[in-house]
Amino acid sequence: MKLNLTRNEKLFLSVFAIVYAALIIYVIVTGYEYALEGVGIRWIYQLPFGEGPLSRINPMTVFMTWGIMALIIIVALNFRKFELMPGKRQTLMETLLGYMLELTEDAVPRKRFIKPTFTIACTLFIFILISNIITAFPGLNTTVTEDGVKLTLFQDTWYSPTSDLNTNATYAVMVLFISHVFAIKAKGLSTWIRSFFQPHWLMLPMNIISEIAKPISHSLRLFGNIMGGGLLVLIISYLIKYFVMPPFLWGFFGLFIGAIQALVFSMLAIAYIGSLLE
Amino acid sequence: MEMADALVQMGKYIGAGIAMGIGAIGPGIGQGNIGSRAMEAMARQPEMVGTLTTRMLLAMAVAESTGLYSLVIAFMILLVA
Repeated sequence: MKLNLTRNEKLFLSVFAIVYAALIIYVIVTGYEYALEGVGIRWIYQLPFGEGPLSRINPMTVFMTWGIMALIIIVALNFRKFELMPGKRQTLMETLLGYMLELTEDAVPRKRFIKPTFTIACTLFIFILISNIITAFPGLNTTVTEDGVKLTLFQDTWYSPTSDLNTNATYAVMVLFISHVFAIKAKGLSTWIRSFFQPHWLMLPMNIISEIAKPISHSLRLFGNIMGGGLLVLIISYLIKYFVMPPFLWGFFGLFIGAIQALVFSMLAIAYIGSLLE
Repeated sequence: MEMADALVQMGKYIGAGIAMGIGAIGPGIGQGNIGSRAMEAMARQPEMVGTLTTRMLLAMAVAESTGLYSLVIAFMILLVA
């Protein structure tokens, strides 16, 4: 494979590499804190009104979600002009989306629902991919100690919205709702209700439990990978202080595992929607 | 530290260790099966190596999830409350 890069792209890539290397050196020189204090504790803000779990928010999740959405919108606005002879970025996007479209066409049996399913799955894929990949780079994060909340810059990776179970559960429940709405639209209400009594009416509780279990396993898979990856990096760095530098582990867990899990999440969304349409 | 607190602490550590240790058996067996079958398929059809590798990684990521549930449970036992 031969890459033909223009001068601007070479400049951008070299600046990017230099900044990343400088960040790694900065993290190592200023003393990466191997303390396990406050690991796994989130910054939770209690809203002045209301009570119970619905009145508490996680400010970092909200902030990073809006940031990533703004990033995606800015990138998408640059893709407005499609050309017949595709450039490099357009080829990349077309390959990615073409692969997703093939998967959707294989899994969804009804022609009418291919395009909406494809749109949903691609939106989920791009958002989750970007929010997983930013965990490979040092950036803004928070540590919660007994004194209060401390914002740290370049001490840990960027805070990822997918390492919060609320984000993942939202998307998983959304996929469940969409799949049932599509099923009702495709098959009609009476057939949909009858599908819960298959193969015998005694199986009704089992069918309901299997539907409820879908979003749970769907969301916990992504949450466990991203959150567990972040904690594992901290613990491995703590155990073998002077042999493994955290930036390389961040690269593995962020880029490799993150990309695979984003693909798995959107593929399972397609499969859940497709399996109810048969 | 009082005796009761010490016992609770001990229970937490033992519980987290058992949860992670037993929970890692299932995904290990599953991933081993996936890997061995993928190797067989690759040996039979070397021209399919690219597709098979990506499918193998995807299947492994799905099989891994039960192990990750036990990881989450172990972290919850250790860190939350």
